[in-house]
Amino acid sequence: MTDAIRGRDRAPRKTPLISIRYIADSAFLIVVIYALMAVIYVAVQPSALSAYSIESLLNNSLPLMLAAAGATFVILQGGFDLSVAGTISLVNVTIAINPHDGPGGALWVLGISLAIGITVGAINGFIVAYLRIQSIAATLATMIIGQGAALIILKAPGGSVSDFMVYGLTGSVVDRLPFALVIALCVMAFWTVYSRTDAGRNLMAVGQDRKAAALSGINVRRTEFLAFVWAGAFYALAAYMLAAQTSTGNPAAGTPFLLLTFAAVALGGTAFGGGRGGVTASLFGAATLMLMQKVLFSLGVSSFYTGVIQGLIMIAAVLFASAVNHAARPKGHG
Amino acid sequence: MDRLVEDAVDLLRVAGLSRRYGATVALKHVDITIRAGEVHAILGENGAGKSTLVKILSGVVQPNEGQMLLDGAPHTPRSIFDARNCGVSTAFQELSLIPHMTVAENLLLPNVSRGWVWPERKRSILARAGEIMADWEIVDIAPESLVEDLPLAQRQRIEITRALSHARGLLVLDEPTAALPDTRWLFRQIRRLTGLGVAVMYISHRLSEVREICQQATILRNGTTIETVRLAGVDDAGIFAMMVGHAPSDPTARTVDSTASGAVLLTARDLCVGAVQGLNLDLRAGEIVGVAALEGQGQQDLFRVLGGVTRRDSGQIAVGGVEADLGSPGKAQRTGPGIAFVPEERKTDGIFENLTAASNIVMADFAAGGGGWFVNGQIERRRAGTSAARVALAPRYLDFEVGNLSGGNQQKVLLARALMSGAKILVLFDPARGVDVGTKQSIYAMMRDFVKSGGTILFYSSELSELVHLSSRCLVMYDGRIVADLPGPILSEETLLAAAHGPQGMKEAS
Repeated sequence: MTDAIRGRDRAPRKTPLISIRYIADSAFLIVVIYALMAVIYVAVQPSALSAYSIESLLNNSLPLMLAAAGATFVILQGGFDLSVAGTISLVNVTIAINPHDGPGGALWVLGISLAIGITVGAINGFIVAYLRIQSIAATLATMIIGQGAALIILKAPGGSVSDFMVYGLTGSVVDRLPFALVIALCVMAFWTVYSRTDAGRNLMAVGQDRKAAALSGINVRRTEFLAFVWAGAFYALAAYMLAAQTSTGNPAAGTPFLLLTFAAVALGGTAFGGGRGGVTASLFGAATLMLMQKVLFSLGVSSFYTGVIQGLIMIAAVLFASAVNHAARPKGHG
Repeated sequence: MDRLVEDAVDLLRVAGLSRRYGATVALKHVDITIRAGEVHAILGENGAGKSTLVKILSGVVQPNEGQMLLDGAPHTPRSIFDARNCGVSTAFQELSLIPHMTVAENLLLPNVSRGWVWPERKRSILARAGEIMADWEIVDIAPESLVEDLPLAQRQRIEITRALSHARGLLVLDEPTAALPDTRWLFRQIRRLTGLGVAVMYISHRLSEVREICQQATILRNGTTIETVRLAGVDDAGIFAMMVGHAPSDPTARTVDSTASGAVLLTARDLCVGAVQGLNLDLRAGEIVGVAALEGQGQQDLFRVLGGVTRRDSGQIAVGGVEADLGSPGKAQRTGPGIAFVPEERKTDGIFENLTAASNIVMADFAAGGGGWFVNGQIERRRAGTSAARVALAPRYLDFEVGNLSGGNQQKVLLARALMSGAKILVLFDPARGVDVGTKQSIYAMMRDFVKSGGTILFYSSELSELVHLSSRCLVMYDGRIVADLPGPILSEETLLAAAHGPQGMKEAS
């Protein structure tokens, strides 16, 4: 009798939806979009396959990719982080007034950069997680402070970046293996591991349902705090690579990153409500955004129109992703 | 068994426990003693303080005053995790599972991965979760399935299993059977734990269950302990009297005419949606039609399609004799006599927690009005008031944010909103789930009044006694079809249960 009743509980349906689920949950879609974009780019600009242009494309894309990776941590747990603009400006000018040469100097500067980024992230995290202030308000404040501090450190674009950073970090590790690609792959590998750790799972759980996560025994505040710290560290890394690429400091360096970072995360398919998406998807989202600019440029589209077209492509991509998500959603009781 | 309980040591001693939220006193001077190996019921109406007690024991909130001793040592958990480490684990009424994660991950949260250096492999996580599930006799759920794909009853079992797997000293079960039609699995696991000396705090509105599994009961009213009684020595009426402070009216009073011959308000023919396969249905004015079914027989799909939440795959639905396309809940309300739907999960599907009760009630009304007019607070309150009176929602609650109301009052708000819409057809999914006796009575009274004034109600309930008491006739669903249509006079819990087990069960019973 008991077995009869338990037998009535429908066993989990093994449906072909699994594959759609995979597409919805992984970076699959954005990788495909990136590949398509790359094919178009190569078709209209055959020189795109030269080692030099691949390297420069990656160098151009890397700072935004890293910034988007950082923002993803905060967005996954259900918050927003505007401080990306302030942090990048602040770290960028700090690097520009600290030109220590050689590999040791570069490492020392990296240490300083990360320390600043992590500090800003920890402040954000503390305000949001422990003082319970809305993340947009808190990070808006730290963004303004960061930008202000950057102006105090460096009044106008200038300063200098060590030759080792400018040439070493924008070149190749070995022949035809750009340093930027190695970093991007390292971040992907890091996320692949991190998302399977308890900290990574907790991040997703908090983003999906804060209350349920808390009742499951997850330390929600610590998870929120950590997300901001990771974000700060990645912004610092983005500023570091930006300095290497531009070889100068600029107190307004971070400003263009603010909206592009969110655009990249959205394009990657990470939900702004939290709980769905991932860093790898955001990396590709950022890379796609930068590649799109190149494609439009080489197609001869006037720069007046690039913004409009980029926006339209973004809407199309996000719509498509949400359609896939919808198809992957459980039906009946959901 | 009884002697063992007498001799056992006190596992939990709660003395003078108080908790205030601002000016509201949720608990004052609560005293409870639970012995090792005992199943101890906490009884009380909604708002009596049961939820607060659960939260304090499991570390979600901290008491303002009072003392808790667990196995002789002070118990002052600062978090769920903390409480769990002290041996107190809780299955919450509002399920605490993460939807887009696997059953295995949910069971093991917050420490899913065992490795310190390198995250544990998925296969090994699944295997560990599988062992836990096998240990607690969960055989029909795959550890790798996503929680969001499971019906409510299975989710509830997972929630309970997680609590079972952590229970070393005290297991707290808050309405564990709210979505479980069958209690045998749960009671087997409880008996196994109590055999090991674990104490169980059992919170339920279903007295028959409480009598079956619990030895002692503590009754709470208005946040205070009224009395701790031995269940064998007191009858239901006595318990009700302690819970509400007076004896309740006879809950079995059946006022609905079972031979309703009013106009047909709603028909469905060959309806197919989700698990529903070729279902036929007629609802007449003046009748309350119950739906009985074991978990997962397609009842959710049926109710959601009639409420306009999902679209049908095929078949016809006619409202007021006219073929209707119920594209959305709003459209369903506006079609002919109108269909108002009250969904299963009020927390997620129905309520705007941050708005006042009054705003929640008139919501549908203003939505139906269409235009972009400003909402006048006084008009809103007045209109909400009429509806609230019909479900016996005290007027003082109208200005409260709904999120702060007790579960029973939230349900009244939802029902008042359904009435507000002016619809003649009410489609209610488990309207009295997890609410207290008093609220149940008001909901029943509202339903009877509603059909008396020419409406019709289709309702599902996971409580058979409710179906027996309320229905003019009762439909039994099995495997997506209606397998029996039982008229009110011959209804009994036994016949319903037998029919719900499908053709075979019918044969056994006859």
